[in-house]
Amino acid sequence: MTESTARAAEKEGQEFFLRAEKITKVYSDGTVALKEATLEIHPSEIIGLLGENGAGKTTLTKILSGLLPPTKGRVISPRGRVRFGSPREALDFGIGMVYQHFALVGTFTAAENVALSHEHPFSTIQLADTKKRLEQLMKESGLHVPLDVPVENLAVGEQQRVEVLKVLSRDVDLLILDEPTSVLTPLEVDELFALLRRLREDGKSIVFITHKLKEVGSITDRVVVLRHGEMVGDLKTAGATTEQLARLMVGKAIDVEAGAIELTEAGLPHRESVRVEEMKSGPSILHVENLTARGDTGEIAVEDLSFDVHAGEIFGVAGVEGNGQTELVESLTGLRVPASGVATINGTNILGKDPREIYRLGVAHIPEDRRELGLILPFTLAENGILGVHRWEEFRGPMSFLRRGKINQHVRELMERFDIQATGPGAPAKSLSGGNQQKLIVGRELAKNPDIIVAAQPTRGLDIGSAQYIRDLLVEMRNNGRAILLVSADLDEVLALSDRIAIMYEGRFMTIALPADLDRETIGLLMGGVTTVKEGV
Amino acid sequence: MSSEVTRNSSRLWRATSRTLTGLNPALESVLAGVVGLLAGALLMWIWGYDPWKAYMAMFRGAYGDSYGLASSAARGAPLILTALTFSICVRAGMFNIGAEGQLYMGALAAVTVGYFTLPSGLHIIAGIIFAMIAGAVWSLVPAILKLTRGVHEVISTIMFNWIARFLAFYMVAFILVDPMRSEKTISIPMNARFPILVRGTDLSYSLFAAVLFAAVIYFILWHTTMGYEVRASGFNPKAARYGGIKSKRAMLTSFILGGLAAGLAGATVVMGNPPTYAVISGLPQLMNVGFDGMAVAMVGRNHPIGIIIAALFFGGLTAGGRVMQFYGSNPVPLEMVRIVMGAIVLAMSIPELFRIFPAIKKQGTELFGLLRRLTHRVSHKEGSA
Amino acid sequence: MNWSDILSLLRISLHAMVPITLTAVGEIIGETAGLFNIGLEGALLLSAFAGAIGAEFGGPLFGLFVGMVVGAGLGLLFSVINTYWKGTQMITGIGINLFAVGIVAFGLIKLGAPGFHDVPKVSELAKLQTPIGAVSPMIFVALIVPFIVYWFLKRTRAGLILKAVGEAPEAADVAGININLIRLLATTFGGALAGLGGAYMSVCWIGSVTKDISAGRGFIALATVVFSGLNPLLALLGGFIFGFFQSLATWIKTLPSKPIPWQFVEMLPYIVTLLVVSGVIGRVRFPKALGQPYKRE
Repeated sequence: MTESTARAAEKEGQEFFLRAEKITKVYSDGTVALKEATLEIHPSEIIGLLGENGAGKTTLTKILSGLLPPTKGRVISPRGRVRFGSPREALDFGIGMVYQHFALVGTFTAAENVALSHEHPFSTIQLADTKKRLEQLMKESGLHVPLDVPVENLAVGEQQRVEVLKVLSRDVDLLILDEPTSVLTPLEVDELFALLRRLREDGKSIVFITHKLKEVGSITDRVVVLRHGEMVGDLKTAGATTEQLARLMVGKAIDVEAGAIELTEAGLPHRESVRVEEMKSGPSILHVENLTARGDTGEIAVEDLSFDVHAGEIFGVAGVEGNGQTELVESLTGLRVPASGVATINGTNILGKDPREIYRLGVAHIPEDRRELGLILPFTLAENGILGVHRWEEFRGPMSFLRRGKINQHVRELMERFDIQATGPGAPAKSLSGGNQQKLIVGRELAKNPDIIVAAQPTRGLDIGSAQYIRDLLVEMRNNGRAILLVSADLDEVLALSDRIAIMYEGRFMTIALPADLDRETIGLLMGGVTTVKEGV
Repeated sequence: MSSEVTRNSSRLWRATSRTLTGLNPALESVLAGVVGLLAGALLMWIWGYDPWKAYMAMFRGAYGDSYGLASSAARGAPLILTALTFSICVRAGMFNIGAEGQLYMGALAAVTVGYFTLPSGLHIIAGIIFAMIAGAVWSLVPAILKLTRGVHEVISTIMFNWIARFLAFYMVAFILVDPMRSEKTISIPMNARFPILVRGTDLSYSLFAAVLFAAVIYFILWHTTMGYEVRASGFNPKAARYGGIKSKRAMLTSFILGGLAAGLAGATVVMGNPPTYAVISGLPQLMNVGFDGMAVAMVGRNHPIGIIIAALFFGGLTAGGRVMQFYGSNPVPLEMVRIVMGAIVLAMSIPELFRIFPAIKKQGTELFGLLRRLTHRVSHKEGSA
Repeated sequence: MNWSDILSLLRISLHAMVPITLTAVGEIIGETAGLFNIGLEGALLLSAFAGAIGAEFGGPLFGLFVGMVVGAGLGLLFSVINTYWKGTQMITGIGINLFAVGIVAFGLIKLGAPGFHDVPKVSELAKLQTPIGAVSPMIFVALIVPFIVYWFLKRTRAGLILKAVGEAPEAADVAGININLIRLLATTFGGALAGLGGAYMSVCWIGSVTKDISAGRGFIALATVVFSGLNPLLALLGGFIFGFFQSLATWIKTLPSKPIPWQFVEMLPYIVTLLVVSGVIGRVRFPKALGQPYKRE
């Protein structure tokens, strides 16, 4: 790659590649996403952009990559001010972004997706040329993907590689990646990091968005921390401690009830395990035997699963998203009809039944997508508070009239008990923050007095306070003798809360064990599908 | 202040504030109405008419005197119902464009009442029931096609409109024809007719029927589990399914209710329409009532109250148009009314209509904002409930 | 039924096919880009009217041109409202239909006779003599256009862009494609095709304009689009099928002994449409972003 190394050498002399000065972004609904953020990016550098959900990381990168205009502030290059009216202009300048939720056309093949982002005169598609160029690029970068398969049929990791190839094929100088590792196995993460280091050697700049402190340590040269839209830290990685970073991210050490967030040796916030009482499992509530289910595309998503969840136990299912967890939860909550197998709640079959029947059997379901599945956003809190139980006698009077009075009272109680901040039961659900929305859902589900709670990604996208609150609730339920099936892509959460943990990979449980018996390396391997003992590191 | 009074009055203030916020969509409808009228005025002017005189004649004819008001209401009554057809299904997430055909079927079914006799009260009820069932059946078939074969309801309901049209032609000419006057069906007998509400006009108690039905729909949609499930399915079918709601059933329900409404509309036209009280060849009294109902539904924002108001407005346009077309030396043809209606609907389809008239929006929202803040401040000062 | 009857059926079918096929192909382009325009009925109606007037002014070709312009204009209106102004496509379509009905009815009154207007013979497009009788040259246009559009969608980069815009607008946006502009162009062009079909009806085929000359053809075209699975070649076939049934209806009406009342005969095309559409769904896959306005987050 002589051309690139030449450019790298040229860049040595330059001061910086790009500087964002006092970028402020206010969305049309009034939310202030960024407040005077300033960032300087140098060539041959990997910058980690760290922050909680909603801190403004994605917004900043969308502005840098031309997708959004800043409300105030400017972006300058050594040659002067730059303004990107579209992602294409940013691409032409040399900035490319790999999105968290990929910007790919599902029905197109990888080659067609790449062809899309190149010059587009009214000409016939020369797919052969594009493919040849891609093959060359694949060799150089070490990324490999099938080029003729519709992208939607590829595994998530492969899709991401297509995204990266697409951006690389435009010969960018700045590569921005938004939470790239959330969909990768530990093995794939290593491959990605190796690629990034290679790119850095070639003189490219990389901005890497993450909320995982661990990654920051292993790949970045510099760390920039955002909190509530403001730049609160810009340090060299070498000198920073995870403690420092966590504190910058969060603002202060959070004190929740009797416990405090502590940093373990792994450098991650971890709930004091002392609070989790002695495991006292009762009878099996959920019994699953040889469960097999197909996904939306017809392939097997859940393969021959057998497990039990007992009263007074949190059974955690860990694993990278996309390995069948969603389909498993759907099969157990009436949203999917499995292909075969047995699943019973207290002895009664639940497979193939519809959600209402399953709720009646004592099941509560905290769904993984609160906005799409758990709530009807235009409805009021009151109306959402009875979703799923709206036909129960307490809420339904003669002639199916809704007992508005009782419903409002019920929701008011929920608001009080779970500290849900809203103007009243008549407020539309979409006016609530993510944390309050989730609390509403959790409250509604717990109010059913269930025997078992199926919680899928219960703290995803929540601020630390709300997340902690919900985790506490789950532990409290467990202590009260309920069964809890916890499915979460947040490995730390699963490890901290579960009494027993299963690691899911491609529809199977690689293992079911006690968290204490598993070391992180083994977990990583299992999540990556490696069953045998490691074959050299 | 005692806490009881405090609580109640702050609740009142909050309710007022919320109503004012809720009126925001009404402002959009009003604006769309204005835009439509302006568009009509422009066209009139281009074609050499005097828009001002024409509109004056129209509004006088529609609302200027009690005759006009009664006329407007008479025309508005069936529109309330066909609008409900569209709106109920929209709330379930579906587009039922079939009010026109369901209306025809309802009218035909109502006419059959003339073949037998019953005491007065029962006779009217029989007519209404026949009509509603006919409308519901005609609406049900596209719904079933959608459920079983996934046929897009827009296409199927429109096809059914055309099939109904020709079927109606046939029925009027051959099956239900009046043996003595072949250009119409047999008439609704005296004691099956809606009594006239205002003497000397053509406004009958059909208006009551329409408003009553609208009220019933309101209660069903917002105060029963059935309506809850319909609205939930319309907003978010996935979450509805999560909540154990069978979307298919909700959809069917909405189509049935919509068909009942359209059928009833057919009954009101035939059973409440002096002097003929029959379906006339070529269906002039029924033509377009279904489609105009859709316009009413949109302007009324798919809510029964809005629909009633919008129906009266659109009824007024038609009633006034009839006066307008005879007024002056260069009268504007009645068809202009339909142009205005189309323009209003087009304007309604632009949600950012306000951006085109930024001044109006600014004033409107400022006013609303001010009022809201006032009521909020009062309610908060009085403590929370 | 003898040979000349069959020929005559074929001839009428081909004629009836034209407006449906052209409109359907136009809508295919629009739907591929993600816009669902049910205002085609109004476009057909209005352009039939405008085309007739244009033909009287400047001859048949000018009339066809005027029809295309009117159709394109309506397509433009639809797409502007639903892209740049983020409108609701279904409602805009209904509005256009209402509006067109009003204008045409109004216009016909202005022209003299309410509900009807004859296009003078001299303004009609001359027919070609062929073995099957006098055929309008527009039939050949209707036969060729689907092939051209098919090639365009499948083999050009522009077709790829169109599909991307309809399937995954976020991806297309990131690739630097101006979503709204593409949708605008697609629907405007689609409208032009529908306008051509509409003007054809008054100028080249029926020879007059009535209040409801479109007779639901716009919706039949939509059904054809569903039947075709967004494949222009299948739209050609679909157009022919529906055209055939319309010609069958006409033929039955001319039979000396009327076996079926004309009203049922008129129902035929719509019933057939319904049957075809019911039988065909399930195997058709529409662009994921069809019907939704695109908002950059």
